[in-house]
Amino acid sequence: MAPQTRKAAIVGGNRIPFARSNSAYAQASNQDMLTATLDGLVARFGLQGQQVGEVVAGAVLKHARDFNLTREAVLGSRLSAATPAYDVQQACGTGLEAAVLVANKIALGQIESGIAGGVDTTSDAPLAIHDEMRRVLIALSSARTLRQRLEALAGVRPGMFVPEAPRNAEPRTGLAMGDHQAITAREWGISREAQDELTVRSHHNLAAAYERGFFDDLVTPYLGLTRDENLRPDTSVEKLAKLEPVFGTGDPDATMTAGNSTPLSDGASAVLLASDAWAAERGLPVLAHLVDAQTAAVDHVHGGEGLLMAPAYAVPVLLARNGLTLQDFDFYEVHEAFASTVLATLKAWEDPAFCKERLGLDAPLGAIDRSRLNVNGSSLAAGHPFAATGGRIVASLAKQLHEAGPGRRGLISICAAGGQGVVAILES
Amino acid sequence: MARTVLQTAPSMPALFARAAVTARGRGGDLPDTRLARTGVRVEAAALAAYDRVCGFSLADPLPPTYPHVLAFPLQLALMSDRSFPLALPGLVHVRNRIDLLRPVRADEALDLEVWAERLARHPRGATVDLCASVSAGGAEVWRSRSTYLARGAKAPEGAPESDLSLPVGELPRPVATWRVPDSAGRRYARVSGDVNPIHLSGLTAKAFGFKRAIAHGMWVEARALGALTGRLPDAMAVDVVFRKPLLLPSTVTLATAPVVGGGWDLAVRNLQSGAEHLLGTVRPL
Amino acid sequence: MGDWYRDLANSGVGSTLVGQLGLPRPAVLRRYEPGAPLLTGPAVVGTAGAGRLRETLTRVLEDAGVTVLPGVDDDGGRLAAVLLDATGGTGPADLAAAYEFLAPAVRRLGPSGRVLVLADPPSDADSPAQAAARQALEGLVRSVAKELRNGGTANLLVVPADAGASVPGPVRFFLSGRSAYVDGQVVRLTAADVPAGEDAERPLAGKVAVVTGAARGIGASIARVVARDGAHVVAVDVPAAGDKLAEVANEIGGTAFQLDVTAPDAAQRLVAHLRERRHAGVGPGVDVVVHNAGITRDKLLVNMDAARWNSVMAVNLQAQLDLTQALLDADGVLRPGARVVCVSSQSGIAGNRGQTNYAASKAGVIGMVRAWAPAFAERGATINAVAPGFIVTEMTAKMPFGTREIGSRINSLQQGGLPVDVAETIAWLSRPSAAGVNGQVVRVCGQSFLGA
Repeated sequence: MAPQTRKAAIVGGNRIPFARSNSAYAQASNQDMLTATLDGLVARFGLQGQQVGEVVAGAVLKHARDFNLTREAVLGSRLSAATPAYDVQQACGTGLEAAVLVANKIALGQIESGIAGGVDTTSDAPLAIHDEMRRVLIALSSARTLRQRLEALAGVRPGMFVPEAPRNAEPRTGLAMGDHQAITAREWGISREAQDELTVRSHHNLAAAYERGFFDDLVTPYLGLTRDENLRPDTSVEKLAKLEPVFGTGDPDATMTAGNSTPLSDGASAVLLASDAWAAERGLPVLAHLVDAQTAAVDHVHGGEGLLMAPAYAVPVLLARNGLTLQDFDFYEVHEAFASTVLATLKAWEDPAFCKERLGLDAPLGAIDRSRLNVNGSSLAAGHPFAATGGRIVASLAKQLHEAGPGRRGLISICAAGGQGVVAILES
Repeated sequence: MARTVLQTAPSMPALFARAAVTARGRGGDLPDTRLARTGVRVEAAALAAYDRVCGFSLADPLPPTYPHVLAFPLQLALMSDRSFPLALPGLVHVRNRIDLLRPVRADEALDLEVWAERLARHPRGATVDLCASVSAGGAEVWRSRSTYLARGAKAPEGAPESDLSLPVGELPRPVATWRVPDSAGRRYARVSGDVNPIHLSGLTAKAFGFKRAIAHGMWVEARALGALTGRLPDAMAVDVVFRKPLLLPSTVTLATAPVVGGGWDLAVRNLQSGAEHLLGTVRPL
Repeated sequence: MGDWYRDLANSGVGSTLVGQLGLPRPAVLRRYEPGAPLLTGPAVVGTAGAGRLRETLTRVLEDAGVTVLPGVDDDGGRLAAVLLDATGGTGPADLAAAYEFLAPAVRRLGPSGRVLVLADPPSDADSPAQAAARQALEGLVRSVAKELRNGGTANLLVVPADAGASVPGPVRFFLSGRSAYVDGQVVRLTAADVPAGEDAERPLAGKVAVVTGAARGIGASIARVVARDGAHVVAVDVPAAGDKLAEVANEIGGTAFQLDVTAPDAAQRLVAHLRERRHAGVGPGVDVVVHNAGITRDKLLVNMDAARWNSVMAVNLQAQLDLTQALLDADGVLRPGARVVCVSSQSGIAGNRGQTNYAASKAGVIGMVRAWAPAFAERGATINAVAPGFIVTEMTAKMPFGTREIGSRINSLQQGGLPVDVAETIAWLSRPSAAGVNGQVVRVCGQSFLGA
């Protein structure tokens, strides 16, 4: 029997304020932050001791000891210990992909409720021992005789004592994500001014959202932080113009600065999803439904496509499947990995050649109403703890749609390392 | 033609040492000698170490450059022998061609044969080709031709002109950046056995007239092919020329471009100066 | 935050020392624990007048399993409570009966004993003589309260002729350990429909209670006690205190609602939240609202800046007015039998140096409660104020030693109260059986000497 599908409801969300790297959360581990975030969600919706269908979350930078990160966070939380959990990882798409996975199980009737989340720390990052040292130690542990042990130890060189820190670089290209994006920005002719303007809008929108209490039921303070640490309500195009480029610096016309790029940050987010019936039984609200989602990937290594351009490919597929145009949305949430990522993606959708040759479309998707874009700020202002961004966006957009009234539609577009993109449609 | 079959791979440090002390007073024609080994088995741990250093993934089919590692000790034995007309110290690898006739599996018993040929004239000296052929089950599966330049050496009268030209298409787009550390030469030496002092340290390289240690050409080639893992034809001709030595440490870029009809053009260049270290083509066979 | 002096005075050596020095000896108060009996010993009920409530009192005691002695005999043991029904008197001559009953009974009162007097309202008296007699009882009770030692309290319930049905709930409260720090108080009852049958342990089961300022201190204690009594608590506090709020909500199985009560749309958002959620599995809305959120911004009047004045007024008074009005206006949100309890303060009654803003706001709360009471009564609801005295909290722990010690001793119980004492009083006023308590100000101050 083919199972009946239904659309999963987004009941609400919780996150901790995002901190800048090596700052407020310098001592907090991924598990600490995820547990605190789950507990905040539990408090918001009265889930103490309750068993939800599944908790799905992940971290991009993960210690070996955190192999079962999400389950361990559940065990440390106020949720029932009988709540199953598993980890996922799709780089910056982790949080949204986790929500899609939970929503799909709800849609299939396999679970009635679930929590999707993500967490990342760049402060308590996993340092690995030098790879050659690691091999020496493995050889040492399997050595049986003194002679074998001495032979193993003979391989040790002073340089091996230096640990390896995770780098924000693509393994196959060796380029930092920002350097990749600098290439894309140059190819699409994204100006420094346009990037700085988008950045200022992100800060101002986020600040305004805090001022009007929009985040009062989306954020729970943590370790003394009550708002996103990166937020600069008083920033301006003039202030941003003073910053030196930090990516693509081989190019004399480099445009990407520490201002119009997201900083390394720490934080966690979680979203509560459920069937309509589960929410109704508990008297919980339904902010929006997760209508559909799509992933895509591009060959950023040898294929000549920009690392962060995959959402540009995913969205038209999603639109076609749902019989929608790019203009059929009340709100757009395009993750601001870099200001130029957003601008290049929008420009690509407006570009006839790109849409025809790369996307195989007869006509470009066209422009969007920029006043509907990232209306409550996005990653440039809030920060971007990789796996936590999806949960931040899903909960914020769902609330925004709910406030706007029934039948409103929102589009989420998140680019991810490895040339990937995750996009989704929410509807109130 | 004399064909000598060796029972084991010769010790390369010893060969390098012998070549060094017998460097003077060489000359004349190439020896009409072939060295061979039969039933050679790939050692799994050695292959894994090689894969790690060159960026290949450990798999049953051998990396296209791996048979070179098996054949190189024989080539070195040939070159270090007194009968070889050019002095090994100071020889520079300037071109490498590999024909992979079919994928070679790591568990196949391989027969190797190496020889030298084509002593040629070069504006800065003389070049010689060291050839290798690898067979499995009686059929050739892999062959290579490595061209070495002996600066200041003289090719015999009537020798042909050395051909180091390789037409490569436009390669404007770097696809990867490698930070090549100071230890790159030592690391490749450990997995390939090529302990030529010019690769091992700045000090030993200076002794042979280089400012700093230089990366093995075969490592640069292997790393470039490694970056294309999964996108290479099963049977192919790889042709690379080594231009400016890659001084250690350096940051370099790899540029690739697919070509019509299959295969790739590729270049490894210095990130700062843009100087070309390697140009190459990969074509299906 | 223990009471070092009380602990010393009740220790072996300390007790002797305190006795020899003639120092006060603060008692360890009997406080309610779940499952505790109403009283720990027998009670006696007397009359000074017609005694129309005597039967009610006896029934309340017997229903709670308390032994009611027929009279005060000379060789009996300690009494846990002395109840005097002084209703139905005609003039000062009847007061003699009160004196004659109370004197031997109070002498026999055990630790944390209770004296509870029920009287007619002076305002309803037929004659000046009758009014005088009724008012006289207030002076009597307040003085007894000051004479009692060992944690004993004395309180007066004023019961109009038609309010007999309102008596049981308040009587149970004043006898129980829940009223440990409520002393010397006069509470006037009104006629009300008091629902029959109340679960003694979980009187608020199935109720939804909003508690503002619930992240810490007295507010967290209120949330805990109201939840212990069975309510689903919607714990409210400013977003910046959200982490502590979540801890409280998780501890008591409630929900956290981050809201700045002074935000322009705070009332609207609270109403929307209460409409949207179906807490405690019952229909949307709220049964109990505790306006506890409050701040202090102390400064002498002459040095007071506008920001201090305005912020205190906004949180302590205006927000209570706005939220209450919005709940009254929103159809179906304030459910039948609703209870609103507003936290006032001793400062609002007695005034306090450096607290013109705070005292004004807290006095304002009293005015608000009294003014709103008739409208609430019409809806079958109540609104009352609780005015804490010196309550030992994180805040008082930061006061200078001298100020803190004096503040905590200048009351009949010779000690500071605990947040739970305030919470218990609020939980009592939130009960269905407190239907007959409306527009009252109950001080939780151990009969403080200030503003008495």
